[in-house]
Amino acid sequence: MTFINEPALEFRRPEVRARVVAALAELDARLPLLVRSAVAGEGPGGDTTASVDPGRPDRVVAEVQEATVHQAAVAVAEAGRAYAGWSARSGQERGVLLQRAAAILRERRLEAAAVALRECGKPWQEADGDVCEAIDFLEYYALGAAALDDGRPLTQMPGERNTLRYVGRGVAAVIAPWNFPLAIAAGMASAALAAGNTVILKPAEQAPACARLLVDALHGAGVPRDVVQFLPGGDAIGKALVAHPGVHTIAFTGSCAAGLQILEQAARVGPDQTHIKKVVAEMGGKNCIIVDSDADLDDVVPGVLKSAFAFAGQKCSAASRVLVHEAVADDLIERLVGALGTLQVGPAEDFGTDVPPVIDLESQSRIRRYIELGGTPAATVDVPGDGYYAAPTLFVDLPGDSPVVTDEIFGPVLSVERVPSVHAACDVVDASRFALTGGIYSRSPRTIAAVIRRTPVGNLYVNRDITGAMVGRQPFGGGRMSGTGPKAGGPDYLLQFVEARTVTENTVRHGLVV
Amino acid sequence: MPSITSDTDASELAILRHGERIAAALPRRSHAPKAIVERRVMGAMMDDEELRAAVFRFVDVRPACRTRADLADHLAELLDAAQGSRLAGLGAGLAGRSPTRTATAAVAAAGVRQMAHRFIIGADATAALPGIGALWDGGASATVDLLGETTVTEAEAESYARRCESTLRALDGAARSWPARPRLEHDAGGAIPRVNLSVKVSALTPAIRAHAPHRGVRGAEERLRRLLRVARDVGAHVHVDMESLDTRESITDLLLALLSEDEFADGPSAGIVLQAYLTESPAHLDRLLDWVGRVPRTVPFTVRLVKGAYWDHEVIQATQHGWPVPVFQDRRACDRNFETLTRRLVDASTSGRVRAAIASHNLRSIAHAVSYAERRSADIELQVLRGLGDDTMRALVRTGHRVRCYCPVGDLVAGMAYLVRRLLENTSNDSFLGAQAKGADTHTLLETP
Repeated sequence: MTFINEPALEFRRPEVRARVVAALAELDARLPLLVRSAVAGEGPGGDTTASVDPGRPDRVVAEVQEATVHQAAVAVAEAGRAYAGWSARSGQERGVLLQRAAAILRERRLEAAAVALRECGKPWQEADGDVCEAIDFLEYYALGAAALDDGRPLTQMPGERNTLRYVGRGVAAVIAPWNFPLAIAAGMASAALAAGNTVILKPAEQAPACARLLVDALHGAGVPRDVVQFLPGGDAIGKALVAHPGVHTIAFTGSCAAGLQILEQAARVGPDQTHIKKVVAEMGGKNCIIVDSDADLDDVVPGVLKSAFAFAGQKCSAASRVLVHEAVADDLIERLVGALGTLQVGPAEDFGTDVPPVIDLESQSRIRRYIELGGTPAATVDVPGDGYYAAPTLFVDLPGDSPVVTDEIFGPVLSVERVPSVHAACDVVDASRFALTGGIYSRSPRTIAAVIRRTPVGNLYVNRDITGAMVGRQPFGGGRMSGTGPKAGGPDYLLQFVEARTVTENTVRHGLVV
Repeated sequence: MPSITSDTDASELAILRHGERIAAALPRRSHAPKAIVERRVMGAMMDDEELRAAVFRFVDVRPACRTRADLADHLAELLDAAQGSRLAGLGAGLAGRSPTRTATAAVAAAGVRQMAHRFIIGADATAALPGIGALWDGGASATVDLLGETTVTEAEAESYARRCESTLRALDGAARSWPARPRLEHDAGGAIPRVNLSVKVSALTPAIRAHAPHRGVRGAEERLRRLLRVARDVGAHVHVDMESLDTRESITDLLLALLSEDEFADGPSAGIVLQAYLTESPAHLDRLLDWVGRVPRTVPFTVRLVKGAYWDHEVIQATQHGWPVPVFQDRRACDRNFETLTRRLVDASTSGRVRAAIASHNLRSIAHAVSYAERRSADIELQVLRGLGDDTMRALVRTGHRVRCYCPVGDLVAGMAYLVRRLLENTSNDSFLGAQAKGADTHTLLETP
């Protein structure tokens, strides 16, 4: 069986737009959703909190009963007990359940997209893309699980039989981000499950309803309740899971600072701990697009706009720096300044919105702080007064040590810097501590080849925008401080979640091979 | 049912008759060395995918090259990249010898410029006027298309709109002194404006969004309204071009809404494009004809029927997204649809409220349109593209048909996207012109699709 990406909705068709509008109205009538933890051994829950619509914070999307640290401990114990049974199933069997979960999500795709739209302020195309990617991960890793059953071929000798097989590592804590509330949660959780681990999912505080929808799909598909547990809550829950000696693997996607903390904590071995924890981390980026002097600016401008400002720049793959050859810099800057002015900032549900609100007040304040640090922008756009909006902002010719140039802002802020050559641009990229995505616009085959050879980034895009990696087509993830480099949605990802066991059997008895 | 069979036979015979007459009127193939070389190059490109890619990439990057040396570098690299091509090795050869390489690059650059001039009638309206006047003298009218960069800012949209306005006025000024050409100035629908401008809505606004057509409409509305007013005042025709499917809803909504406004009830003459390669084009024609039937305009609405020029784009986009491909993937099915739509348009034109403009270089499609119009005693216009349809145009003028030539105006940089699209069309193995260039006989070319 070959893998095919779930087709995105064709929003250019009026009838498709009408369908999703109806789905959103249906969801709105049901708000707020009630989200509880799903722990196999139930106990009393914790505080009640809420997730809200970033475009209209007075609209509560989900009322959440947070899990307690005690529940986290119970969950780990349950997951540890459930591991033997789950890992004893074949990859093929586990894959079937994941495919069934994908089918359930597909059934509910409009509803799921509507929840992502409301809870995370994802515009329709982005929200739908999130659902599709979640489905893709489930199906892609389902196929990978079946392939794991075959192990790997080894060198064989007369009188000896060598086999290598893969088994799950144990209990996996999945700590998910809010920016791809369905896709990344689904990706990390389904990879762990596919490989034979039991999973405790801690969703982002901002997106519990999305994650609950995913967990419901997995349970609905027949994944046992002790094999996938769900612990909504804040940092305390995440920290408890990372520190717990019963957790074997931590799959994390989020900020660089949080990722490094997890790596440090996970390296500490507790007194009762009998294994070394493994951390699979996908962290930030400070992604550059290089523009050569022979680039077609007609392509560059829309590509840069999309890479930097779609979903308000809240993707780890988003572009935040443009390194442009000085020969075309003035032209490009003039066109980018003008093009920025055409961006419409508004609520996620408006089909005409180019830039939605950012996730929460904290993000909004952080982005505003960076914009102030940048000084006078070359261009900016007015934003609505209510809601967590951040103005798309363009800076030009900032000094190389400006925080706008060096830090991951995770918002709609772009800086353009002139470089004397593509070679010099590569030096700039090389000096960065991040290495996630990057872009090169050039029409010289030799220049493109040189950038491909030199670039440290995990995902390089040539003559196109640099976001929107597809499962199976653009395995995603970077090195350096951008992560541990596991390449989600690629052929090697599941290997992060397994241990390999080799068995060598002597087949000689009384001098005969039997 | 014998009567139907004989009907079909009769109409097929009429198509053959018209087709042969037009074919006989085609200019003889030029034996000038330049024409022979060009035919050979086109032929080689059709058979050699990698050479084709190298040539396209060179044509594409040519305007961005600042110096001879830069040009030479690009040419050498692109030829190098065409590994399997019959020209493989030439690139490596070029890379070393410096005097040879700049000379070769200069020749190649000149070649691109010359090719561009074949398709583009002038760098601006003033430069284009003599060519357009010559067409008129030769018995064909023109529609002018202003090439430009992709519009990404309001300033660019505004500049395009102003160029359109000044072009309308410049053409109007020049057209007043053209000699009378009754065949080109009147049809069953009444007077036909001498001045005709083709307009791209995507150039009138940077706000076209496939998933939010209202933004494109709102963005281009005021500028197109201004253009329509100028056209009305100088008595010109404004034709709104169709582009990729992503823009169709905006373009259609916008034009129909504006033309429904009271101030345009009596003019200007205006029109839209119907793309026969879209599988849903019949429904689109329903919508257009329904609108024509409801709106109280006193000037006929022109529908230009084309095959469509974004075939590759539509297929790639749909395939990458997992969407149903919106265009016919079978050439014959597409040709049949073109004929069905031709008949519907010709039928509609007999009401006097619609003008049918059939734009094709396919001899069969043209012959079919002409013979069906004759059968319905309808009066149609035929359209060709400058550079590609020049011979067809001459033959149609000679055989007494009304022809309009689509004439792009603009500089080399702006024209490149257009040029690449036309080249693709001309060298695709499926292309009618390709078959014709390879010397397929008239009967084969006129076969029922």
